[in-house]
Amino acid sequence: MSAAVLVGDVMVLLFGGFMCVGPLVTRPSLRFGVRVPPGYAEAPVIRRERRAYQWRSILVAIGALAALIALGGHTSRWPSRVILITEVGADLGCFWWAHHQIAKVKSAEGWFAGRRQTVVADTSWRGEPEAFPARWLLPAVAVIAATVIVGVLRYPHLPAYLTRGDHRVATSPASAFAVVVGQLYATGLWTGLLVLVYRSRPDLDTADPAASLRSYRKALGAFGRAGLILLACVDASVLLFALHLWHVLHLSGGANLLVALPVAAGLAGFLVTVVGAGRAPARTVAGAQATDRDDDRYWKGGIVYANLDDPALLVGARVAFGWTVNLGNPIAWLLVAGFLTLPAGLVIVKVATGI
Amino acid sequence: MLLSIEPDGSVPIYQQIRDRIVEAIATGEAPVSSGLPATRQLAVDLGINFHTVSKGYDLLRQEGLLRIGRKAGAVVQRDATSGPPRPGWQEDWASRLRTLLAEAAAQGLAAEEIIAHCQDIVTGFVPVTYDGPAVGEAS
Repeated sequence: MSAAVLVGDVMVLLFGGFMCVGPLVTRPSLRFGVRVPPGYAEAPVIRRERRAYQWRSILVAIGALAALIALGGHTSRWPSRVILITEVGADLGCFWWAHHQIAKVKSAEGWFAGRRQTVVADTSWRGEPEAFPARWLLPAVAVIAATVIVGVLRYPHLPAYLTRGDHRVATSPASAFAVVVGQLYATGLWTGLLVLVYRSRPDLDTADPAASLRSYRKALGAFGRAGLILLACVDASVLLFALHLWHVLHLSGGANLLVALPVAAGLAGFLVTVVGAGRAPARTVAGAQATDRDDDRYWKGGIVYANLDDPALLVGARVAFGWTVNLGNPIAWLLVAGFLTLPAGLVIVKVATGI
Repeated sequence: MLLSIEPDGSVPIYQQIRDRIVEAIATGEAPVSSGLPATRQLAVDLGINFHTVSKGYDLLRQEGLLRIGRKAGAVVQRDATSGPPRPGWQEDWASRLRTLLAEAAAQGLAAEEIIAHCQDIVTGFVPVTYDGPAVGEAS
């Protein structure tokens, strides 16, 4: 098993675990992507669908694990990719089914009928926005700097050919430093996305906007820090790979899997943070007349958001704690295209350099 | 300042934005010289078209409550401490107040109750503290 295969297997396990918990720890006003008014967060249909979802998602995770075990010892990346895609599809199907059942009952019983639906903004958010945790970017920058320094020192002593698995490629600055380009590419794109996240709007609870803004600031800080640590972990994995490529570290057999450890640990920590940040206490204010706006019409399946009247680029996602793009905003399509260029860009780097 | 609107309500959204900001100025939440978010930022935060926010801000500018500059953005131009209202404003306001109070009377609210409501609301406003002629004497 190679490090890349191990990362694939770990992603299957982490995604399965995340989908068992993530959709269950959202705000009380959101249940499986359905906007729910106060007093309905524990409605019978929601309790029933939550229980059913728990079982279904656990079964999906067990099925994925069984498939990985059955294919144990495989050396190709494809089995774990196919399992991951199947798992994502099955989990999203379970989520959609719960969403559909709750939305049906909500519509039939008119949960929002006669309620004053409001949207609230706190103008202090723009005056004193949450500061981007730039200091937490330092570990990633330090890892990239270390990679460059080791690469520069090591380059004169490299053999005529660099080998990776069965590949052999002539040593050149492009082939030797492709790993650094990969690090810079991933770091730049992920940091840019995080900056956009910090500029997006907070989802405030109408029942207690001030308290929900405080919670949001705290959760955003945790998310930003975990995201930047994940970035440092990804760069550290690339550094380990580079050390192997440059014959500084000789990783063979099981030691090869060391390369995947930082990424796996970073991903696990990130997902735990996301799930933890998604938890929010129920806010009920005695005598409150207004409720959050029923904006389900702009959400497809509780996952995809498209609102032509909303100028926001990123909006709060309805699963755990995170963001999703507003497909009603043309710039969001550019962002999606940019995001898709991450793997495409890495493939180009790989093809251009042979690494 | 918390700005709450009803996007699906019967009152136009730009009017709601204007009303909420007027209330914030009266209660002292948005005192004179305090800044308001840029139109695009407020539009993003409320999830509405930025032209709607712009229309609400423009109403406030026409009423002399807001100053909108290219660099400083939207800034509150006057509040209860800034002196008497401009000439002619009071007649227009009294006319709108008459309609509002008439609605209460037509719905069967007693005069004492109407006055009590008015009293409650006015108690929550920042007291007028400027040195100058009384509002009714302004000319």
